[in-house]
Amino acid sequence: MKTLLTLLPVPRALAFTLLAGSFTVHAAAPVKGGTLIYLEQQAHTNLYPPAGGFYPNGGILNQITDKLTWQNPQTLQVEPWIAESWTTNADKTEYTFKIRPGVTFSDGTPLDANAVAKNFDTYGLGNKAQRLPVSEVINNYERSEVVDPLTVKFYFKKPSPGFLQGTATIGSGLVSLSTLAQSFDRLGDARHIIGSGPFVVSDEKLGREVDLVARKDYRWGPKSSQQQGPANLDGIKIIVTPEDSVRIGALLAGQADFIRQVQAYDEKQAKEQSFPIYAAPTRGVNDSISFRPDNPLVSDIRVRQALLHATNAKQIVETLFSANYPQATSVIATTAAGYVNLADKLTFDPTKAKALLDEAGWKPAADGIRQKEGQRLALTLYESVPQPQNKQVLQLVAQQWRQVGVALTIKAGDAGSKTLDSLDPQKTPLNVTEVGRADPDVIKSSFYPANRDNLLQKGGSSDKVKSFRDDKLNQLLVNISAEVDPTKRLQLTGDVQRYLLDQAYVIPIFEEPQVYAGAPWLKGVNFEAVGRPALYGAWLEKH
Amino acid sequence: MRHYLPRRLAAGLLVLWAAFTLSFVLLQVLPGDAVLIKFQNPDLGLSPQQIAEMRQAYGADNSLWQQYLHTLTAMLHGDFGYSVQAGVPVSELLGSNLPGTLRLALGGFLLAGLLAFALSALSRLPALRGLRNLLQSVPALFISIPTFWLGIALIQLFSFQLRWIPVINPSPWQGLILPIVTVAIPISAPLAQILLRSIDDVSTRPFVAVARAKGASETYVLWRHILRNAMLPVLTIAGLLLGELIAGALVTETVFGLGGLGQLTQQAVNNQDVAVLQAVVMISALGFVTINLLVDLVMPLLDPRLTLSGGAV
Repeated sequence: MKTLLTLLPVPRALAFTLLAGSFTVHAAAPVKGGTLIYLEQQAHTNLYPPAGGFYPNGGILNQITDKLTWQNPQTLQVEPWIAESWTTNADKTEYTFKIRPGVTFSDGTPLDANAVAKNFDTYGLGNKAQRLPVSEVINNYERSEVVDPLTVKFYFKKPSPGFLQGTATIGSGLVSLSTLAQSFDRLGDARHIIGSGPFVVSDEKLGREVDLVARKDYRWGPKSSQQQGPANLDGIKIIVTPEDSVRIGALLAGQADFIRQVQAYDEKQAKEQSFPIYAAPTRGVNDSISFRPDNPLVSDIRVRQALLHATNAKQIVETLFSANYPQATSVIATTAAGYVNLADKLTFDPTKAKALLDEAGWKPAADGIRQKEGQRLALTLYESVPQPQNKQVLQLVAQQWRQVGVALTIKAGDAGSKTLDSLDPQKTPLNVTEVGRADPDVIKSSFYPANRDNLLQKGGSSDKVKSFRDDKLNQLLVNISAEVDPTKRLQLTGDVQRYLLDQAYVIPIFEEPQVYAGAPWLKGVNFEAVGRPALYGAWLEKH
Repeated sequence: MRHYLPRRLAAGLLVLWAAFTLSFVLLQVLPGDAVLIKFQNPDLGLSPQQIAEMRQAYGADNSLWQQYLHTLTAMLHGDFGYSVQAGVPVSELLGSNLPGTLRLALGGFLLAGLLAFALSALSRLPALRGLRNLLQSVPALFISIPTFWLGIALIQLFSFQLRWIPVINPSPWQGLILPIVTVAIPISAPLAQILLRSIDDVSTRPFVAVARAKGASETYVLWRHILRNAMLPVLTIAGLLLGELIAGALVTETVFGLGGLGQLTQQAVNNQDVAVLQAVVMISALGFVTINLLVDLVMPLLDPRLTLSGGAV
C-alpha cells in the first residue's frame, strides 16, 4: 500500500481502482457470523430514501434497502437487481421493468410491481399531505402503470435518460407500502424504514446508535455480486462517535471494526499499524469554489479568471491532504461519467492573475488590496462543514488570493444565516460546492437554475438575483439530461466542463473521496458507486 | 409557610411561561427557519418550487401569532410536536436523551461535591497544614483544564493505552465513569473555592472561638460548627451549577458520543428546530425552578435562623 501511494497521479488512480477491486477477492472462505462495529461521525437525519445523499443516512439505507438496478462501481454499468430486465422507448419517456419474483420486504409484504410503482410515484411526484419531497434524481416523472404483478411501466413528460441510473442511486431505495404511508415527520426513526435489503433495523437509540441484523431469508443480491444469499455478518452496530480522534483511536485500540471520515492527517497513523484505508471516489462535481456572477465584484470574467489562476490547488492538496485527494483536473472527477482532462485551463499563474486584474481596472491600494472606483476587491465565503478540512482549505485560498491583491473573508455562521445569505449573491459572491453522483446528470444537478442553482441565476432558486442568467450554459445542461444517445451525452458533458471553465464560473480544487478505515481482520467491504459502504459481503476474520 | 409554597409554585409557572415565550421570540429573530434549513439543504437537491411546496405543507409562512398559539396550546396538552431536522416526535428525542443526561449530570454533580468537600476538609486538617497552600490551589488548576482536552486525555489513557474501560459500546455503568470524571473536575472547582473561602470566613466568627474555648477539638469544631455553617453559600451555587450541568454537558457528550440534552440543544439551535428547542427550554426551566425551590426549602433545615415566611418562626 505504501509504495502505491508514491506513484504518479494517473497510475495511482489506476492502482486505486485495482485495489478497490482487490478488496472483494479473497482466497479464504468468508467467516459467517459476528457483529461489525461501525463508527459514524454524525447521527443520521431523516431516512426517507431520497434524503439518503447525506452520508450518515446513506450508510444505513445502503444496508437495509435494495434498488431496482445496481450500478457496478467498477464499470459504472447499470445491471439487474430487483429488476431482472428492462426496456425503454427510443426517446426515453417510457421505461418498463420486469421484477424479480419472490422478493419480500422485511415485514413480509411482497416487493412486486405495485410496490415499485408506489415507490416511484412518491419519489417522482412527492406527497404534500405526508410532506414527502420529490427525489432529486427523478426528473420529468409523470405516472406509473402496473402491467401485471411483476411488470411495471413508468411514463415521463420529457425524455429522462438519467432515470435508469437514477433507479440505482441511494435515493431510490425501495421501501414497503407501510413506510410510504408514514409522514416525513416520522421517517427519522430508522425502525420505521422497512426495506428488502440484506439487513434490517432491529433497534435504535436516537442520535447515538442504530443496530442492524442480517435477514436470514435474503437471497436477492445483485446478480453479478460475488456475495449471494444472506449476508456474512450477523449484524452491524452503527455507533455515532463525533470526535475524530476517538474514532480513529477506538479503531486502532480494537474497539471498532470500521470507521467513516478519516482525516487526511490520521491516515498515516492507521497505515503504520496496517489498518487499511479505503478511499472511495464520489465521482461527481469536485470540491470547488463557484462564483455568483450576479455580484458586481465577480461579474467581470477577467476577475473570475484571475482568481482561478491565483488558486494553487496543488499547494492545497499537498499541504492538507493525502494521495487519496487528487488535485482536480476538471469540474468533475476523473472517475466521473463524461470526464475530460482540462488541466491546461486550471494552471496556477499569479502573474497572469495580476495582469487580468490590472486589465479589469482593479489597482492595488495602500493596504495591498485592489480597488476600483473606491470599492475594495474583498469577498466573503461561508465555510462548508461537510467538506473535509474546508476551513483550512479556504484559509489557504485566502492566503493565495492575498498574493494577487484580493481579500477573502471566511465565515462560519449559523445554519439559518448561511442558508439565507447563500441565496443572496450580493452577500455571497462565492460558494463551496460538491455533488456526488455517477451520472452525467450530476453536472446539471449542480448548476441548472431549477436544481441546485450553484451560480444563482435569475429565475432560479433566489428572487434576490438581479440579472445574471447564462442561457447558453442552461441549454448545454438541459441537453445532457435530455440526450438519449449515451455517447453523445458524454460528449455534451465534456462541452459543459469546457464552458464552465472558459467562463471561469468554477474553481475546482480537488476530487473529494469518502475516506474510511477498517481493521485488518475486516474483509469483503465494498462501496456503491459514490462511496457509501455496502456491507452485504463483509466478514470478520477470527482475531 | 402556608402561603409560601403556592406563591413559589405560581412564580415557577410564570418563569416557565416567560421562558417559553422568550425562546419563541428569540428563535423568530434569527434569520431563516427550520423548514428552510431542512429543505434548502443541498443534500436533498430540491428545486425552488419544491421547496415552496414543502414550506406550505409545514405552514412555515403562517403568522407568528398563529404559530405561537399553536405551539403553546399543543405544549399545554403535552404534545411537543415533531423535530423537522431529525424527523421524529420531540417526545421520543427527549425520552432518548434525558435519562443519560440526568445520569451524567447527577453523577458528575455528586462526584464534584465529593471532590470539593474532600479538598476543603483536607486543607483544614491540622495534620496536613504543610500542604494547605498546595491543596487550596487545586481548584484553580481544575477550573483551567479545558473539558475537551480532559475528556480526550482520559480516553487516550484509560481506554486506548491501558485498555481498562472501552469507550465504544461499554456497559451502561462502565460508560459513565470517564464522562462523570470529565464533568466533575471543572464543576468541583467553584464549589471547592467557595467552600474554602466560606470556611475561612466562618472560622473567624466568635462562636467558633467560643467552641474552641470550651475545649472542643479542632476536628470537632470543623465538622460540627464550621462546615455546617459554611455550607450555605455552597448550596446556592450548587443549585445553579446542577441546572447548568443538565443543559451544558455538550462537550463531554460530544467527546464520548453520549448524546444528551446538551447536544440536542446545540443542534436544535443551529437548525432552528423550534419544537425541540422549546421542549429543551421548558425542561431546563422546569429543572431550574425545581432545584431552586428545593434549595430554598433545604436551607432552613441547615440554619434555623433562616425562615421561609420571613416572619417569626
